[in-house]
Amino acid sequence: MPQNKSRPTGRKVMLMATCLSDVFFADMAKATVEVLEAVGCEVIFPEAQTCCGQPAFNSGDFPAAEKVARYTAEVFAGDLPVIVPSGSCAAMHFHGTDLLFEDKTDTEKVENLAGRTWELFDFLVNGLGVKQWSGTLNKKIALHHSCHTRGSDTGAAMETLLSSIEGVELVEVGTPEQCCGFGGTFSVTFPHLSGEIGQVKLDSVLAQSPDLLVSADMSCLMHMGGLAEKQDKEIETRHAVQVLRDVGLNQ
Amino acid sequence: MSEAQDIVMGAVKQALSGLRGKTSLPDYESEFLFSVRHKESEQDGWTEFGENFSAVSGKAMNEVGDLVEFLKEGGFEKGYCDPELKEQVGEVLVAAGLQVSYAFDHQRVDDYVFGITRASGVIAESGTVILNDEDTVDRLAALAPWVHVAVLTDQKKVFANIPQAIENLGNSSNVIWVTGPSKTADIEGILIEGVHGPGVQICLRIGGEN
Amino acid sequence: MSKSVQPIDAFARDLPRETRDAVLSSVMTRTAGRKAKLEADYENPDDLRRLAGKVKQHTLEHLDEYLEQAEAALIKNGATVHFASTAEDAREQVLAILKENGAKRVVKSKSMVTEEIHLNDFLQKNGVECVETDLGEFIIQIDGDTPSHIVQPIIHKNRRQVAQSFEELGLGDYNDDPQTITRRARKHLREKYLQSDAGMTGANFVSAESGRLVIVTNEGNARFGMAANGLHIALVGIEKVVPRDKDLGLLLNLLGRSATAQQLTVYTQFINGPRSKSQPSGPEQMHVIFLDNGRSRVLKSKERDILRCIRCGACLNVCPVYRQTSGHGYRAVYGGPVGAVLSPLLAGDDFSKYADLPKASSLCGACNEVCPVNIPIPELLLRLRSRANQEGIKSAGSPPMAPFAKLATSPKLWQTAMTASKAMNHLPITMMPVRPLQEWLKIRTLPKWSGGEFRRWMREREGEPRMDTNKHE
Repeated sequence: MPQNKSRPTGRKVMLMATCLSDVFFADMAKATVEVLEAVGCEVIFPEAQTCCGQPAFNSGDFPAAEKVARYTAEVFAGDLPVIVPSGSCAAMHFHGTDLLFEDKTDTEKVENLAGRTWELFDFLVNGLGVKQWSGTLNKKIALHHSCHTRGSDTGAAMETLLSSIEGVELVEVGTPEQCCGFGGTFSVTFPHLSGEIGQVKLDSVLAQSPDLLVSADMSCLMHMGGLAEKQDKEIETRHAVQVLRDVGLNQ
Repeated sequence: MSEAQDIVMGAVKQALSGLRGKTSLPDYESEFLFSVRHKESEQDGWTEFGENFSAVSGKAMNEVGDLVEFLKEGGFEKGYCDPELKEQVGEVLVAAGLQVSYAFDHQRVDDYVFGITRASGVIAESGTVILNDEDTVDRLAALAPWVHVAVLTDQKKVFANIPQAIENLGNSSNVIWVTGPSKTADIEGILIEGVHGPGVQICLRIGGEN
Repeated sequence: MSKSVQPIDAFARDLPRETRDAVLSSVMTRTAGRKAKLEADYENPDDLRRLAGKVKQHTLEHLDEYLEQAEAALIKNGATVHFASTAEDAREQVLAILKENGAKRVVKSKSMVTEEIHLNDFLQKNGVECVETDLGEFIIQIDGDTPSHIVQPIIHKNRRQVAQSFEELGLGDYNDDPQTITRRARKHLREKYLQSDAGMTGANFVSAESGRLVIVTNEGNARFGMAANGLHIALVGIEKVVPRDKDLGLLLNLLGRSATAQQLTVYTQFINGPRSKSQPSGPEQMHVIFLDNGRSRVLKSKERDILRCIRCGACLNVCPVYRQTSGHGYRAVYGGPVGAVLSPLLAGDDFSKYADLPKASSLCGACNEVCPVNIPIPELLLRLRSRANQEGIKSAGSPPMAPFAKLATSPKLWQTAMTASKAMNHLPITMMPVRPLQEWLKIRTLPKWSGGEFRRWMREREGEPRMDTNKHE
């Protein structure tokens, strides 16, 4: 889906680390800060932040989602770009709020936040014009394009930066249309379906025998990695920003 | 108006009452629908048709002689021919030893292995033969036999593309676009040609330049 | 409905592996074929989908005007036009037309809308033989089964099962070669055509401008049904109308490619009334029945976009959930993403009966990406989830969201919870407090909890003043 092309950019940014970073993925959040700083950004982390509200939204509990979305809009008030290392949370800001607030008044703050939100890779490449990442990594990388980055500029941006790293070989994963099966609460409410859906995707990934499975969404990686680990299948998962950080921060 | 109509139309009107910000009807140029292949094609219409028709398992022919050869080789020896095509096609077949009937008997539709009727046009872009009720001597004659031969006599009826063919649908009550032989993939996705309609679809142009 | 397991999840779990694999591989092939065809033929196929979506949306929003236009044009062409408000009305009208004409034997071309009103059983009970002529639908009929895909009704069956059914029907000795099966069906059904008194079809599109009905088939069954007898009855959903003949070109270009990776379906028929005067074969009467059956109610709802659907089946093929369940998992005539939206809406007062279907989606959006009329299916699923929530319809296995909202709007509580839950790392799986979580962990591991770690790191770094802690609580 088309995103707002007139989003603010600049090297002073606010970071929305995502709730999953709070719970599981501290290292990915750290990598995000380090990478943003490596390209000259000043990163502000509003400590009161919690979650984008997507779990409630996707469950159909719009009143609960509205509360969280309004709260988040308050936390990120201002005029700085808001950077999210997750295509999914970014999509919640871009598209979710349109539906959530369609009949509401007093939506200025949520609309304002939607207009300032960038998925991290989209921001690096299209917001800041960073198209090269120097360093070497002799690995075969399978890229998983998460569903919530469909039609966005994130996938291409991620490919641009990863393929600029010396030694990286990007491999095509079959069934590009197939979801990883996570879907947030979907995986809890429909555990069998979710697992089987993930298995289809995982099989496509493993067929390429990559050294790394990389995505712009930690949640997909968590699901596929969790399935693989239970089956004793070796697959190392990394958020794309962790790859950049590990390759080197002297940019 | 019937009562049922009142109820349905009333429900539709009621559903739409108060709907604001309605979508306007978009307009668009015919070219917008053309495939890349058609846009870039520099061939004449009949040649483009032939290639596309062949891509959907159809057979385009330029000479009655080719038809004779095909029917003889395939063992398709008995069939029906539209009397209007008797001189140009039927008699050539008879001379070559094939059995041709000029009357289509509804009691024995399965006896005709081939059926030769007139085409109302072709579409180059999609490899489609156009049949209509006025030019087709009998719907069953163009449908029941295993081999259907649509004969194009009017060279002007080579339409470049789908929008042009739509503009020229005319007033016929029954226009059929035939894009290849009858087919199915219902069983395990395996393609089988010749389900209810012809298993072989031919388009023969006569009076053309080639 | 079991309290703890979602019906579609249980259906997928219990579906024979062989059936699942047949469905999965078939729809994956179709998905790849569709994509390859559209991308080979158009520089930007999405432009075409968006345009078609607008045309259909416009039509729906002006449906009263276009229906009136279509009706007038059809009458002018010599057709008789009827309207049916409910499935029952439609069945009675079909029967009345057949009775008036003394028609006892009907051949039917594939039509989802006749499935929707369960026409076959009804006619059979009233002494009318009604034979399905699409190969797949014919097999469904002799097996007493229901279609599990809009375009490929027997996607859940293999050749051996079909061969058995044919043997039982007396169509020859057991033979599971698809070509032999097809030839036998050709022979058997040809008899049925030639003995028929009437042909029934649906319609893919109706042009309001000219009254033309467009009917597409690959097998030629609709052609035969309209060549071998004198009476044609078309049962058409009111949403099938399009404004202009030119729009037929747009939609046909998308329908074949989206459904079966064909530029055009083999037979595209433009029916403009009864047969012409010079034509010896085909219907002398043409009846068109416009069916509402809940559509006007959908039109009134904010989910009206679903009525744009042209029944190509592309959303089923691409849907990760459909791929695991087949159409039968959706417990209604329409399966897959379109069914998950349409079934609860068409159910009217029985909304709650199908309210679980819109939840059975990871909201991955693949359906929207392939839809030839660009229906925002994920958005519609969300709207229906919200409706279920508002109506207080409980859903198996769904965690409640009010506590989440409370937590996610109280930063101190949030941070405490994130840190405290670290204890989870030290609990064995079987002691996990929530049952759904146990299910989750049966086949997946969870990463190590690192609650609070990032925030601590952030605080401890140089440049601490960047932390913005002033605003809340």
